[in-house]
Amino acid sequence: MCVTLCWSTEVIIFACIPESVPPFATTCLTSLAGAILLALCFFKRIMKEMRRDGSKLVRRCLLLGVLNCTYNVLYLYGLKYFSVSSGAFTLSMTAVVLPVILFTLKKEVSVKTWVSAGFVFAGILLAVGNNANVGQFWGAVLIGSGCIVRAVFIVILNRYSSEDDPISISVFISGFVGAISAILWLVMEPTGFVDLPWNSEIIASLAIYSYFMVAFAQTLNIFAQKKSTPANATIIYSMEIIFSIIWGTVLPASLIDRTVITPWIIFGVIMVVLGNLIEIIPSRREKVSET
Amino acid sequence: MKRKLYILMMLIISYFIVALPFKVMEIIPGFADIRPVTVFGPVFALFYGLPGCIIFALMNLVMDIVAGDIAWSCIAGLIANFMGPLLFMLYWKRKSKTQPHLKTMRNIGHYCITIFIMAVFEAAIITPSVAIFYPDVDWKLFFNSVVLNTALFPILFGIPLTILMQEELGFKQIPSREQ
Repeated sequence: MCVTLCWSTEVIIFACIPESVPPFATTCLTSLAGAILLALCFFKRIMKEMRRDGSKLVRRCLLLGVLNCTYNVLYLYGLKYFSVSSGAFTLSMTAVVLPVILFTLKKEVSVKTWVSAGFVFAGILLAVGNNANVGQFWGAVLIGSGCIVRAVFIVILNRYSSEDDPISISVFISGFVGAISAILWLVMEPTGFVDLPWNSEIIASLAIYSYFMVAFAQTLNIFAQKKSTPANATIIYSMEIIFSIIWGTVLPASLIDRTVITPWIIFGVIMVVLGNLIEIIPSRREKVSET
Repeated sequence: MKRKLYILMMLIISYFIVALPFKVMEIIPGFADIRPVTVFGPVFALFYGLPGCIIFALMNLVMDIVAGDIAWSCIAGLIANFMGPLLFMLYWKRKSKTQPHLKTMRNIGHYCITIFIMAVFEAAIITPSVAIFYPDVDWKLFFNSVVLNTALFPILFGIPLTILMQEELGFKQIPSREQ
């Protein structure tokens, strides 16, 4: 839940970064800075993990880094078709897609997870369906594809986080995401780094993003994944909508696009919360098996 | 000695990394000062004891000087930022028979309540000095701002950070009364 709260504040930090800074530049600089910060703090631990089976760890993190960049690019372009609240709801489709992916991979999915995913899906349909139009079709395709890639990312990350050291995974994922974003940034704007309007505010906001979103939230997420199932984690991630809507309601319009609260959005939020409660609260059988 | 110096440097650097960007920029225009660095108060106190409390209070003063906010009220800030985490640490040290932990909902609830009390205590020390030296400042708004900053960040982000440090990264908290 804390990871979800951290991620929801991304819009606030993004709002402090001027629009002249391209998204790939933000991802590249913050991911590399976050990776360096973590590597400096946990150098010995990472070296120990590298000595254990470094090449396997690097290969795994490269795969995760590529998946991470892919879904972020798909989200980036897909979100241009939606308003803030509709976009936030659409991103939660990962919670719906994930059980299907798990089922396809012949992994066990509990009835409770299917029911929770159903509630989240109903919430998304209620909130987005009322405002949807044909022009948003390609946006929905892009975000839908992003959700599938993210679901695969979560399933793989969940497995690796219990096998490898989460700190090392976090460092290498950030490093690879930073490197891939650097390539994309260079392709799109070859003189991008020099052209950036460097000033204390941009450096400060990039620094906050680096240590908060990359070094802290991402690492915390990998540790949380270690103790959770992919389905459980993804459904809790869908709570990001609730936080985003709260920010959109209470923060000034100069910082974030205000969310217009409609009955549809309220019903959508209620369904998503219900979906989360079903997943989080242990059933009688789970309580018995715990004892 | 070398290890102690290393820890000292790490605490100072962590404080700077978190505090400095928020001194440079205004995150939410029109809102009071946002200070996520308060997350370190209970963390420094629980994991590093008295030296942690001293570093937290001194770094707060240093940041005020760096940002050019130096004023008489900073003395109250120094006292509050030392006494708050210190009392918090002493309470948890006395209460726990073993290493304090946040593994149960009961302990997490208890932790939240003590953090809130610490926040009110700190605000009660700083606010009168601000009200005396700066009569133009709305002291009620200031009091609320201090309480919110000192309570919210340690609760929202400090609890996961403490769990992460203790349970996953192997950091040891200060010894309890029977250790």
